[in-house]
Amino acid sequence: MTGPILIDLGVGGMTCDDCAVHVSEALKSVPGVEAATVDLATRSAAVTARPDVDGAALAAAVRSTGQYNVFERRRSAASGE
Amino acid sequence: MSDTFDLLILGSGSTAFAAAIRAADLGARVAMVERRTLGGTCANRGCLPSKNLIEAARIVHEAAHPRYAGLTPATVGVDFGALVAQKDDVVREYRAKKYASVAGGLTDLELVEGDAALVDPHTVQVGDRQVTGDRILVATGSRPTIPLIPGLESVPYLTSDLLDADEGARLTDLPASLVVLGGGYIAVELAQMFSRLGSRVTIVARSGLLSGYEPDLGRTLAEVFTAEGIEVLAGARVDHVRGDARGVELAVEQAGAGRVVPGERLLVATGRTPNTDTLGLERAGVTADGDGFVTVNAQLRTNQPNVWAAGDVIGRQHRSQMATPVGARQGRIVAENAFADAGRRFDGSVIPRAIFTDPPIAVVGETEAEVRARHYPAVAATTPLMYVPRAGAVHRTTGFVKFIASTIDERVLGVHVIGESAPEIIHEAAMAMKFKATLPDFVELIHVYPTMSEALKIGAQAFSRDVTKLSCCAE
Repeated sequence: MTGPILIDLGVGGMTCDDCAVHVSEALKSVPGVEAATVDLATRSAAVTARPDVDGAALAAAVRSTGQYNVFERRRSAASGE
Repeated sequence: MSDTFDLLILGSGSTAFAAAIRAADLGARVAMVERRTLGGTCANRGCLPSKNLIEAARIVHEAAHPRYAGLTPATVGVDFGALVAQKDDVVREYRAKKYASVAGGLTDLELVEGDAALVDPHTVQVGDRQVTGDRILVATGSRPTIPLIPGLESVPYLTSDLLDADEGARLTDLPASLVVLGGGYIAVELAQMFSRLGSRVTIVARSGLLSGYEPDLGRTLAEVFTAEGIEVLAGARVDHVRGDARGVELAVEQAGAGRVVPGERLLVATGRTPNTDTLGLERAGVTADGDGFVTVNAQLRTNQPNVWAAGDVIGRQHRSQMATPVGARQGRIVAENAFADAGRRFDGSVIPRAIFTDPPIAVVGETEAEVRARHYPAVAATTPLMYVPRAGAVHRTTGFVKFIASTIDERVLGVHVIGESAPEIIHEAAMAMKFKATLPDFVELIHVYPTMSEALKIGAQAFSRDVTKLSCCAE
């Protein structure tokens, strides 16, 4: 059984704290996502998810908001696993 | 800032900036590497400075040739140094507003000064520094082609880089005489500009003027140039060049006869070469063609999945053109494909293009020769501007509009104009063609009377009516 992974994402389109909340909610709506942290200042997000969660599903969920964009930078084993 | 970026752009022209702005919108951290002045060819040594000086030359010419009986010709003095200085101010201000301040306003954009050399598909060496990018965009543009002509390497010559405000090739003294080598759009624009500012100009062109365009455009322009005192040597082959800082001589063979063409300065304007030869594309495994243009698919991706190319460096692939707004559009497409999986394809089928001579030229779509070459059933009609009321009213009748249309459904395939306001009116044709307009669409639109845009209505009518017998407003 493979443990959760950490997916590092670039995030575009955010202008305020509410935006970060919307992006975070969109990411968490994807099945298999356990946690999502969005950072407005660095325009990035860190998602902890099952290994079978692909970047395209995360991107589709965020892009469906019509306001924001994400793309996958890299993925790694979540720390502590 | 980290030396690892989401997008590493080689170049800083219109392509690079459009890509950087859109990629930053989409969340990317971007670096741009530039070895020359920020802003690329257009802003620094291309469209912008040339249009500034060409307009000044037009004022000088119009004053001396007022076209109207009752207006006395006047002489406008030319202080070339002062003219160049104001051009430099325009360039610097534009560069500051449209490039430097835009770059400064972008979050997570880093400008890296220096010569970029690819190390592998993700890494670029710039001086002592290695910069990496998850994705790389090659947008290094192009430079004047220097033809292989015996003697040229040891003779001082100008290129369009003479327009630059801040580089060594900048020209500040008006040559008494100028030999222009080449007959393309840069050659004709600069030849007429120098002639009107006071240089004695000779054009030496391998074929006619503006080869590749509708042939009558170049022929009409050659007639105008000859009437203005520019000598046009078409079909000329240069055997060798010699000279020094005091003057040059071209040994030219034309129609089997040899002659020597002297000039104080030589301007080489024989085309553009992509700036890819020192990039080390092979180290990144990126394929280019024999002329150095980077090979891309319609989504502007190279054979390396993370490397993209756009702007002048892709040449004419996918019906692209070397032009500032074309590169800018492509830069945006690359950003959206690279960071938003947009899957956008570059569509070069309707791109208006202008040549800022006087009269100016503007074209969109295919030439008649191109349509014939693909054996498409089409008809063409050329209408002289003497049938356009405004042209007659303001004594600007030199020129024509040529339409090429499908004989299947009357869809317009190409519009080619030489004449007053051509670069403005071509947008009506381009917009119409974007929406697949037919000849009747142009005719049915009520045009403002009297405008040069009526040339499009009248030019479309020429397929079905005798335009010499139209009344007011071409109804």
